[in-house]
Amino acid sequence: MAKLWTVIKREYLERVRSKWFLIATFFGPIFFSAIIIVPAWLASRNKATSDIYNIVILDATQSGFGQRLAVNIAGDSTAVARMPTVRTVLPGELTKAESVATHEVMDNDRNGYVVIDQQTLAGEAARYAGRNATSLADMERIKNAIRETILGSRLESVGLDNARMKQITFIPLDFSAERITEKGRAGSGMASVLFGFAIGFLLYMSIVIYGQTIMSGVLEEKTTRVAEVVMSSVPTDTLLAGKVLGVGAVGLTQQILWIVTTYILLKLRSPIMAKFGVPAVNFSLPDISFGAGLIFLLFFLLGFVFYSSLYAAVGSSVNSESEARQAASPLMIMIVSTAVFIQPVLLNPSGTTAVVLSLVPVSSPIIMPIRMAVTGVPATELAASLGLLAIGCIAALWLASRIYRVGLLMYGKRPTMREMAKWVTYAR
Amino acid sequence: MTEYAIDIVNVTKRYAEHTAVSDLTLRIPTGSVYGLLGPNGAGKTTTIRMILNIIAPDSGAIHIFGRRSDDRALTERLGYLPEERGLYRKMQVRRVLKFLGELKGVRGKEADRRIDEWLERLSLKTPEKDWGLSKIDELSRGMQQKVQFIGTLLHDPDLVILDEPFSGLDPINAQALKDTVVELKKRGKTVIFSTHLMDNAERLCDSVCIIARGEKVLDGAITDVKEQHGQRNIALALEGNGLERVGAILRDHSLVKRADDSNRFFEIEMADGADPQLLLRRIVECGASVQRFEMIQPSLHQIFLEKVGAAAVEDGLTDG
Repeated sequence: MAKLWTVIKREYLERVRSKWFLIATFFGPIFFSAIIIVPAWLASRNKATSDIYNIVILDATQSGFGQRLAVNIAGDSTAVARMPTVRTVLPGELTKAESVATHEVMDNDRNGYVVIDQQTLAGEAARYAGRNATSLADMERIKNAIRETILGSRLESVGLDNARMKQITFIPLDFSAERITEKGRAGSGMASVLFGFAIGFLLYMSIVIYGQTIMSGVLEEKTTRVAEVVMSSVPTDTLLAGKVLGVGAVGLTQQILWIVTTYILLKLRSPIMAKFGVPAVNFSLPDISFGAGLIFLLFFLLGFVFYSSLYAAVGSSVNSESEARQAASPLMIMIVSTAVFIQPVLLNPSGTTAVVLSLVPVSSPIIMPIRMAVTGVPATELAASLGLLAIGCIAALWLASRIYRVGLLMYGKRPTMREMAKWVTYAR
Repeated sequence: MTEYAIDIVNVTKRYAEHTAVSDLTLRIPTGSVYGLLGPNGAGKTTTIRMILNIIAPDSGAIHIFGRRSDDRALTERLGYLPEERGLYRKMQVRRVLKFLGELKGVRGKEADRRIDEWLERLSLKTPEKDWGLSKIDELSRGMQQKVQFIGTLLHDPDLVILDEPFSGLDPINAQALKDTVVELKKRGKTVIFSTHLMDNAERLCDSVCIIARGEKVLDGAITDVKEQHGQRNIALALEGNGLERVGAILRDHSLVKRADDSNRFFEIEMADGADPQLLLRRIVECGASVQRFEMIQPSLHQIFLEKVGAAAVEDGLTDG
């Protein structure tokens, strides 16, 4: 036990002391805050951009509809700069007017143009063409302005005055969406998807980064022959366990630092963002219960043990960094192909794909926490997933320790898969 | 103290393709300096690894100081310097040494004290510069070897195993190593080193074992080994160009079994039953001027060549 502790201590302290650890620990929270805040900020900014003011309204209705539409697009503001230009066009000359407007857009004088005609008055159709045609918020705003204008002229035609009409049509609706799970309300839907993504990303990154850290650590010990000195003092299983635990503790330390500082940054986001002149984002952090947090932690630890022990086996079987990269590619494929499924799982967290992937040990350490973040997962599935992952860990450790103890002493050419399979059967 | 530091009985270790060590029996007396000699690929490193319990033999038994080699309590009495050397490159020297010491049960203040002592002794810590605070990769190759040497001896092991300790050492470090080996012996420690450099072995070892192709060729105290192979060797030095005159005589296999040109003299092994006096007479008769004609004990190098055969050495060298 004392020796296990010695190995863990070295692995941990040497890594925590490194510059790389300091840099990653410092920039991590900034990065994570950014990936959480920026999409939330964009999503909360439902306001259309100023692009919609610099457009042309081609009015072929001959009813003054265009002027009223311009007022509605400009909204509360009466500033001339925010008022789109209205061009009254005869129906026969519409094609020509459109071609002029198109050139204006191409020359960057205008952002786009709206075409309104008799069909628009009838509430059937209107057209927009412009640079910002893909901006959902802009299009929504123009569409709503047209609807409002149509509604306005209809109400006017039944004899309502302007003030009364405004009173009736003014609906400042603020629509918010919240998610409900078996455990009750659980924060906004957007926030939990982002949270799920953040969790998945964090797990993915730490497995890749720390798996490769272990691999190059093992490789260093092998190529410098330190491994032989250490193996003459410590059983190989203890050495492997010490490495996995020591590097795992580094990962855990870093994640705890990341989570705590990211949390603080998010809590303090208003004053920080105000400094940059960005309005505060109204967005609630999903509340994760202590139990759920503990399960996340368990998935992280088991997933880490699963992959890092396999990475250690790879590191022990090769003789150089370039060989290691090649030999690790099957592991990389396993992890990356899991990461590919993060988005589909977020979109359909209870589908068959999501359920299967959250049970298979190769993908479950990443997929299950994501599912847990965005939806309720039945306790039986959770238990099955953890159980299978634990079995997977034992199998991976067993396999890794057998490859490790032979591989560390084998120099020369890189072993084939068949040779490595033979190593597993070696006594010692 | 048990009589034998190491007692290896009928040990065999096979790998998929070949047998690394075959039915090896070896007894190494406590307190001796022991040379494990053999060409590359002979099984020296495998034997050492089995002694250290890094790998286990397929059959046979190994006892160290009377205990089974897989007894974990033994590791603290063993010190090991592997053949190719290296240390954690990015780690501070003191921390590497503390780590290695702690694995062998030397901790805390005691470890610090010993590290200081060793660093000063090998002039890695002087009033001007304390290399102990540098990272390993800031040290020269020679200094790194010293650090590794400290790591091997920090816990004051009773049995020190040095695998090819002289390879890559500059003459000064090589001398320091020899001095240390002698000092270890004086303090009653057992030192085993493997080498293919016979001169070093001949000067330092009390006993040797020659292994080739995984099998023991011969073993015993150096004096015994030499005696068994002695008497029949002659050192011959000639003045001027005597070589041409005696060439035919040295090639006469009824008289000379082998003649090894050592540049300054020939080491001649007599053919079985041949009379050295006859050889001397013939050399004098042919008119060569004899500078030296001496019955000598064969060098370890000679014995090694005779026992292992030049072919095995070449074999070993090519896959080394």
